[in-house]
Amino acid sequence: MPHQCVRCGKFHDDGDSTLLQKGCSCGSRLWFFVKKESIDKAKTITTSLTPEQKAQIEEDVLEIIGETNPDEPVVLDLESIRITEPGKFELDLVQLFNKDKPIVFKLAEGKYMIDIPETFQRRRELGEKHK
Amino acid sequence: MIKFVGKFIKKVFRDIFRKRKALKIGLYGPPNGGKTTLANRLCLDWLGEEMGSVSNIEHETREVQIKERITVKKDNHELSFSLVDTPGIATKIDYEDFMKKGLTESESKKRAKEATKGVIDAIRWLDNMDVVIVVLDATKDPYSQVNITIIGNLAARDIPVLVVGNKTDLRKASIKKIKAAFPQYEVIGISAKKGTNMEEFYESLFVVAG
Repeated sequence: MPHQCVRCGKFHDDGDSTLLQKGCSCGSRLWFFVKKESIDKAKTITTSLTPEQKAQIEEDVLEIIGETNPDEPVVLDLESIRITEPGKFELDLVQLFNKDKPIVFKLAEGKYMIDIPETFQRRRELGEKHK
Repeated sequence: MIKFVGKFIKKVFRDIFRKRKALKIGLYGPPNGGKTTLANRLCLDWLGEEMGSVSNIEHETREVQIKERITVKKDNHELSFSLVDTPGIATKIDYEDFMKKGLTESESKKRAKEATKGVIDAIRWLDNMDVVIVVLDATKDPYSQVNITIIGNLAARDIPVLVVGNKTDLRKASIKKIKAAFPQYEVIGISAKKGTNMEEFYESLFVVAG
């Protein structure tokens, strides 16, 4: 699945080693997950959010998930929290209660952020159970 | 009878596996159902002090609160536990709702962000709970997505549940509707604010958690 750099908008192909190892050429390690069928749409999408609002939403999400290491790569999947503008949150409780699914924030159309520390913890727990 | 035997077996297993870990009872429910008011009532009754602040603006509790070592005594029985008060669980949090209640825009946006984090934390804490008291506002329709999702997930995790219909001091309150919505659970009508029917509540707590 393609990933788009949050900062510069560059697309990276699925399985691109840059995603997890080096980060984008612009220095960012935060990615928007984009479904193949919506990639063309995502390229041309424009939202009504101002750059300030987008920055605010991103800041809010990092604070909510308590991101301690900004260098951690962030990869994205189905959304559990949609943010339509700063201060407006729609929560998908079914997704949130699902222990096996990561918590994913939809920042704006086609843009997502995932709760990485929580997901790693869940994977570790699942891994331990299988041992 | 079968239900009773089932509960007994579950309790025995729970006791074996819980070992000496303190029993954790969680208060869950939608915002403004009265979770903190009930927590305060419980703490006042048995510890002589309150637990948290309450407000008529939704999402007053935005962090998980714990009160340890509460012991409820009834006849010759004792029940010791840690009480965990959780933020209200909602499907939509909009700062404009808080502005309508008189908060400023920046206060409202901050509250919305903290409330969203609170929902995530409340759900994360669910796996630590031994027993859950679901606190519902008895004046509201019980068939909401929030109520059904919470109670459905508790059943899936096999956590014993006591459903409380709060605010029975208000004329619109209907415990009947809650009982009809969740017939498989023990439903107790109380007014946490006025302290009405707390005896029956404690009796039910002994049955579910004891």
